[in-house]
Amino acid sequence: MDGSRKVDSALTELVEDAPCGIVMTDADGRLLFVNDTLKRWLNLAAAGGVCGQRLPDLMVGPGRIFYETHVAPMMHLQGFAREISCFLKVTGGDALPVLLSGVARRNGDGKLVRCDYTIFDARERRIYEEELRLARVKADELAAIVRTSPNAIFRVNDAGQVRSANAGAETLLGTPAEQMLNQPVQDLVHFATPCDWFDRAKALCSCASEAVLETTDAEGRHFELTVVPIGEAAEGASMDYSVVLRDITARKKAEQRLKVALGEMKHRVKNTLAVVAGIARQTLPTEIRDAFIGRMQALSRAHDVLASDKHELADVRDLLDLAAAEAGGEDRLRISGAQHLTLPPEHAQSLSMALHELATNALKYGALSEPGGYITVECELVGENLLRMVWQERDGPPVSPPSRQGFGSKMINTLLKFDLGAEVRIDYNPEGLRCQIEFEVGS
Amino acid sequence: MIEQNNVTQSGRGEGPAMVFVHGFGCDQSMWADVAPAFEESHRVVTYDLTGMGQSDLSAYDPRRYDDLRAHADDLKGIVEALDLDEVVLVGHSVGATIALLAAQAMPEKVSRLVLVSPSPCFMDDAGEGYRGGFSREDLEGLIAFLDENHMGWSAQMAPTIAGQSEGAEATDKLTQSFCRTDPKIARHFARVTFLSDERQAFADNLRPALILHCRHDALVPMEVAEWMEGRTPEATLRVLDATGHCPHMTVPTEVVAEMRAYLSQG
Repeated sequence: MDGSRKVDSALTELVEDAPCGIVMTDADGRLLFVNDTLKRWLNLAAAGGVCGQRLPDLMVGPGRIFYETHVAPMMHLQGFAREISCFLKVTGGDALPVLLSGVARRNGDGKLVRCDYTIFDARERRIYEEELRLARVKADELAAIVRTSPNAIFRVNDAGQVRSANAGAETLLGTPAEQMLNQPVQDLVHFATPCDWFDRAKALCSCASEAVLETTDAEGRHFELTVVPIGEAAEGASMDYSVVLRDITARKKAEQRLKVALGEMKHRVKNTLAVVAGIARQTLPTEIRDAFIGRMQALSRAHDVLASDKHELADVRDLLDLAAAEAGGEDRLRISGAQHLTLPPEHAQSLSMALHELATNALKYGALSEPGGYITVECELVGENLLRMVWQERDGPPVSPPSRQGFGSKMINTLLKFDLGAEVRIDYNPEGLRCQIEFEVGS
Repeated sequence: MIEQNNVTQSGRGEGPAMVFVHGFGCDQSMWADVAPAFEESHRVVTYDLTGMGQSDLSAYDPRRYDDLRAHADDLKGIVEALDLDEVVLVGHSVGATIALLAAQAMPEKVSRLVLVSPSPCFMDDAGEGYRGGFSREDLEGLIAFLDENHMGWSAQMAPTIAGQSEGAEATDKLTQSFCRTDPKIARHFARVTFLSDERQAFADNLRPALILHCRHDALVPMEVAEWMEGRTPEATLRVLDATGHCPHMTVPTEVVAEMRAYLSQG
């Protein structure tokens, strides 16, 4: 007797104080019993109990609809419902995410008479599921990009065997994806050279973040191949690689057209300058002919410097070397500091012309007009991108300011101030002319 | 059409026909306690709406099924394919709206309508003084809610969709095979069901209709039942003393009795 009472009280405790909510309803969902745990979770005492309420009344909005359209039919049709995720109202608090499972009880005639539910607190699981859901959304978005890319995209293992390939790969290589699986990628992209291109790219990847190579197939299409290690391999696991094959035929053709047009253009400019010099030689009076032709030649040489550099950027050092040649060698024009400074073409041309004027002037009237005279040119970057160039003449004849501004100094001012936006200061110091030029590079 | 919608026939081979249209959330099995009661007197047809139950899910094009009229078209197609005449269309909830729309598309084929727990519009319309029972916010919340409850769907249902053999039935029972469908379709159909406003269609009703409404319907307020009674031509409202939104499952005997009484009227 005493023993069974003990069991009864333990069972009561098990039900009332279970680590989950327990609810009993009639066939229509009216609450017949709610255990203490759920009453506590939902603070039902403060709400004045659940008299006359139905299970969906405990649920937040959408859950009510889901109960009527899904849960109730499930209980009737299959006799159970499992792990339904929903929110329950909490008196004076935030709604509680729960998982609800139920089982239907039937009488001898098979008629549904009662439903029993257990309700689990799903706060932690919910946070995890939400993270999972967001991660899936993000992964889906990225996957869509790969799926729809016109490029062939492969994931290959350490041995270069294809683990997956996108639709672009099927189109570009004309092979169904399933036939590419486990095949060596360097056999599939057989037109790339050398034939062990993947192995080489892999070796490159060990010391660089990616390996890029270009190749051409039998039909003359140009491709760019990029191999990048997928840096997600777990400790000790072998590395996978992404291989992207991109058809760059159109870009290559455009580049080729541009190159031809540019070569043609350079050739014509050079010819035109030569023709102008020729006309000047035959037309101009002697006293100005040499100066004019000298200027034309400086322009032409500057053009050569530009034309020889395929990136179209001119090296400041090259421009100074041209001026040094005019000045009579690097003893007479001593250059320092002009390392790794490049200029866009239009700036290079202006600077080159200005240097020509300065050199010509020094030869006629300045330091270079005497055997022992020389010039130092110092270049330095002041701050981030301000180039300061100081032209200092030394050991020449004594200098006095000119009575009038000659064409040369006018041209220096015009070229440098207007074309380069430079600050120019010319000092006629008695010991030698000093010209300081400051302008921004790389802007 | 017959295969696409998993059409099932029983009862008499000839004579008046009844076609049952299920509602949102489930499939034709919802009619298991009602439809068989009419097998002696009628040719009984049940089917799954496109996108639900065992219908051909690939036929569910969201653009087409953005309007309940697409489902009504399917129903018309079934009636035509089976060459049915003097049909009684029986619909539950949104299935009732589909039946009503189909009757408008083929009034000559339909003799009567039985609308179980119908609602022309679930959403409140303050401007018109119409209380459908839910705010737009509530209904938008349902869409997110469906997302959550279908997370495990693909793993559970994939074998069934892929055409699992009959013999594997036992394993099916372990999963929640009822009332489950592709999550994307469920979400879309929920939107179409709960955000549709077919009040005009109810006002334009062409065929005699029995409206069965539960006194304590959790989704459709009594005001909506009264609105339908007042605005739907040729409608008879019968209020069942029942709770919930699925009287055909909870009080099938009463539903059958009401239907019989209505259909026996001249």
